[in-house]
Amino acid sequence: MIRMTVNGRTVDLDAKPHERLCDLLRRALGLYGVRVSCSEGECGSCTVIMDDEPVTSCLVLAMQAEGREIVTIEGLGNEDNLHPIQEAFIEEQGFQCAFCTPGFIMAAKAFLDENPDPTEAEAAMAMSGNICRCGAYPYIVQSVMNAAARLREGGSVSNTG
Amino acid sequence: MAAATEAAGHRSAWRVAGKGIPVKDAREKVTGSLKYAVDLEVQGMVHGKILRSPHAHARIISIDTTRAEALPGVLGVVTHHDTPQNVWENAWFNYRGKILDGIARFHGDDMAAVAAVSEDVAEAALELIDVEYEVLDAVFDPEAAMQPEAPQVREEGNLRDPYVVKWGDVTKGAEEADFIVETEIRFASQQMAPLGRNACIAEWNGDRVTLWTSSQTPSELRDGIHEAFGIPLSRVRVIALPSGSSFGNWWSANFMLITALLARKVRKPVKIELSNEECMATVKRRHIEISRGRMGCRNDGTLTLAEFDHIIDNGGYGFKDDVGFFCVDNWGRAEHGHYAIHGVNTNLLTAGCMRAVGDVTLGSVVERVADMCAIRLGMDPVEFRLKNQIKPGERLRMQHSRQYMKGSLEQYLEGIPEEDRQAWPKLFHLSSGSTDEILRKGAEAFDWSSKWKGWGVPYAVDGPRRRAVGVGTGAHVCGVEFEGNVSAVVRINPDGSAKVHCAVGRQGQGSETTQAQVAAEELGIPFDKVEIETGDTDSCPWSHGSLASNTMYRVGWATRAAASDAKRQLLDIAGREFFDSPRHELDVVDGVICSRDPNKRNIRITVEEALNHFRGTDALGQASSITGRPQGPMPPASTFARHFAAHFADVEVDIETGEIKLLDFLATQDSGTIMNPQVMKNQMIGGAICGAGFAIYEALSFDDDGRILNANLLDYKLLRAADFPLRGEVIYGDSYDPVGPFGARSAGEAPAAASGPAIAQAVYNAVGTWVDMPMTPENVVTALDTLH
Repeated sequence: MIRMTVNGRTVDLDAKPHERLCDLLRRALGLYGVRVSCSEGECGSCTVIMDDEPVTSCLVLAMQAEGREIVTIEGLGNEDNLHPIQEAFIEEQGFQCAFCTPGFIMAAKAFLDENPDPTEAEAAMAMSGNICRCGAYPYIVQSVMNAAARLREGGSVSNTG
Repeated sequence: MAAATEAAGHRSAWRVAGKGIPVKDAREKVTGSLKYAVDLEVQGMVHGKILRSPHAHARIISIDTTRAEALPGVLGVVTHHDTPQNVWENAWFNYRGKILDGIARFHGDDMAAVAAVSEDVAEAALELIDVEYEVLDAVFDPEAAMQPEAPQVREEGNLRDPYVVKWGDVTKGAEEADFIVETEIRFASQQMAPLGRNACIAEWNGDRVTLWTSSQTPSELRDGIHEAFGIPLSRVRVIALPSGSSFGNWWSANFMLITALLARKVRKPVKIELSNEECMATVKRRHIEISRGRMGCRNDGTLTLAEFDHIIDNGGYGFKDDVGFFCVDNWGRAEHGHYAIHGVNTNLLTAGCMRAVGDVTLGSVVERVADMCAIRLGMDPVEFRLKNQIKPGERLRMQHSRQYMKGSLEQYLEGIPEEDRQAWPKLFHLSSGSTDEILRKGAEAFDWSSKWKGWGVPYAVDGPRRRAVGVGTGAHVCGVEFEGNVSAVVRINPDGSAKVHCAVGRQGQGSETTQAQVAAEELGIPFDKVEIETGDTDSCPWSHGSLASNTMYRVGWATRAAASDAKRQLLDIAGREFFDSPRHELDVVDGVICSRDPNKRNIRITVEEALNHFRGTDALGQASSITGRPQGPMPPASTFARHFAAHFADVEVDIETGEIKLLDFLATQDSGTIMNPQVMKNQMIGGAICGAGFAIYEALSFDDDGRILNANLLDYKLLRAADFPLRGEVIYGDSYDPVGPFGARSAGEAPAAASGPAIAQAVYNAVGTWVDMPMTPENVVTALDTLH
């Protein structure tokens, strides 16, 4: 049994010894916004925030999350209460198929927490740990800049993110 | 053109068409709640895994599944002995084969499959299947595979009949030329590298089967199941879920048919989920293409001759005989020419239509040879394109509608009343649009005239770094007729909302939104009351799906026609019941039926009121809803419709390291009316990045046994956010199409065609020589070494 905090709630979960964090979050908690693609930490689709740091959850064993605080895309906002970053991605249309989008948004969240007033070039570099095969990159970067402005203006959301 | 100008003038009155509305599923997408096939489960389902060939070409002599079936947790195994030996085909011959036939035609080919209580058990059971193979000689090089003595990959032989188009007299074209240039280019294979992976769940109820999978082509997958299993179409239901970026990978794939085979064997729902490596090494890839071309040109810059001979490798199961014929058509002002396309099989992974099929290859070669002419003349490449590329109303060089399985164009036309055909554009002539306007607008916005310093001349030199600009153009069809005509259904519900049913899938390009915009504009019902079903073959009529850039043009035509038919029915009855007017005096605006007759202005009936009124009477003859569908077929789009892109690239090449940086990039496009600019900009820039990947980064690497060495995202490099210029601004042409919905044409493939040639030309201008694609640092340095 592993105890961790996921999206603000404490959970006790049974995990197999070799189970990855991404699989546990999907299997045990139904958090399908944690997308699994390359399984080798290259694409960033499975990015979640663990104790304020973005991690590719395909490279984290479930056991390593013991006692940690995890935030997934589901903890950031929901369809009735979007986070400013999510609103920004809609406004700038920073996606097409959106398989990668939760990973980008979580990476953007971690980045903007560290650097609330970035340049475009900094935002582009920060988003380069993730892959968008549809190639929405200029609009993803615009989304991050738009989100930064919203957050600086005090975009209010009540959530665990 | 007068009619088009008049029609374009209506744009300002549109309420939904042409508006940059966020896509319908935007909230699901940013919250991660959108479900792809990998996310789906069905109660009681078990898991399947596929046994893959360790040889590129081999025949199974014996296969013993006893040990696998004895493993606890295994529910069943299928081999070719369990498989109906019927051939199934994929649209435009992207796949032709049996589900399992005991022969491996590429390394990793499907040989058998196991269903078990978990993926782990299924995986373990694969190791317990004992197979004895007879290893056969294999052929990997497309030219070698064309030789009569080559190992034969398929029982039909390796070589398809060439697709040949001739016009004028090539001897005359050569005589009329002041000079002739020629080249040969060999391309590598690009991988769709579908980030989203895929899965399929199949479940049989009696003799009926349902499949859930991520697919752009639900109807065509239904057809494939029908062919492979020999069961009526009425017993097959496909529910296509959204896919990740597909680029042609997720049409129908053999793993989906294997899932159905396993599910029938074990009589339980079975899910097969592909790993990232399986997605990249066992489904599809871009063809390897080899092209030889020559062009004749006069000293005044007029092309006289265009000749191209092009080979495409289909891998194991592709069966195509043509790609990219429209690329030559774009330069078809040359009065003499011909092109021939040869499809050939090899023992490599199946090749299929990847986004801008033929464009990024044959199209690049056509652009290259044209550029070589312009270099001889010292002519500006923008000017050379303006002078030699096709204009509206001009003759297309293709001479046969690409009807494929339904016979000739004449047979197709036979059933269509003459009066319907009168309204069509002139066949085999370009109906609307060209590169003309977008080249001019793009050159101005990019400040081309001050950055272009002449052929092979950088505009800036900083130590080893050379900066230069390039322009490239691309054209693609707006759908091809394939197996038949598309349809759509539009229903108006009793509450005044409407639902569109069209089988285009959802691969992320926003077609669920743009099709709904077409319907909402035509119906006069507010956009937020129009919903759409794109994946369920039980409710959507047949369509090719989202492929060959057919969605906005052909399906959009059908959606508009269906909406128009529904509106006609609504207004007929409203005219009779409320207005005492013929329908042409009535209209629907924002969900309210009103009359143009000044004396009846005070009568305002909402669609909801109207349908509920009808519900209580016998007047409608239909209890509670109206169903519209296209009345008659659309004209054969491939004979007149194209979409065009012109891209401008600013690059920096380091001649010591060979590294290419993209400094600036401008995409322009002529797709007629832009149904949704928010959707369109992503199609344009996304296409440009796909083409840029082909040009500078991406190539599958095969070993001597035909095995893919880089079927993963660690070794197969893709562009990232910092690798592509951040200018998100794009430019649209202003043409208006006479057939497409509200003047729109298609969008998705020309942009992937134009960026590679633009970047290649910019690199030429930076370093003074052409570099082989992909223009990796290694290839740049090799080209420079050859030059010096």
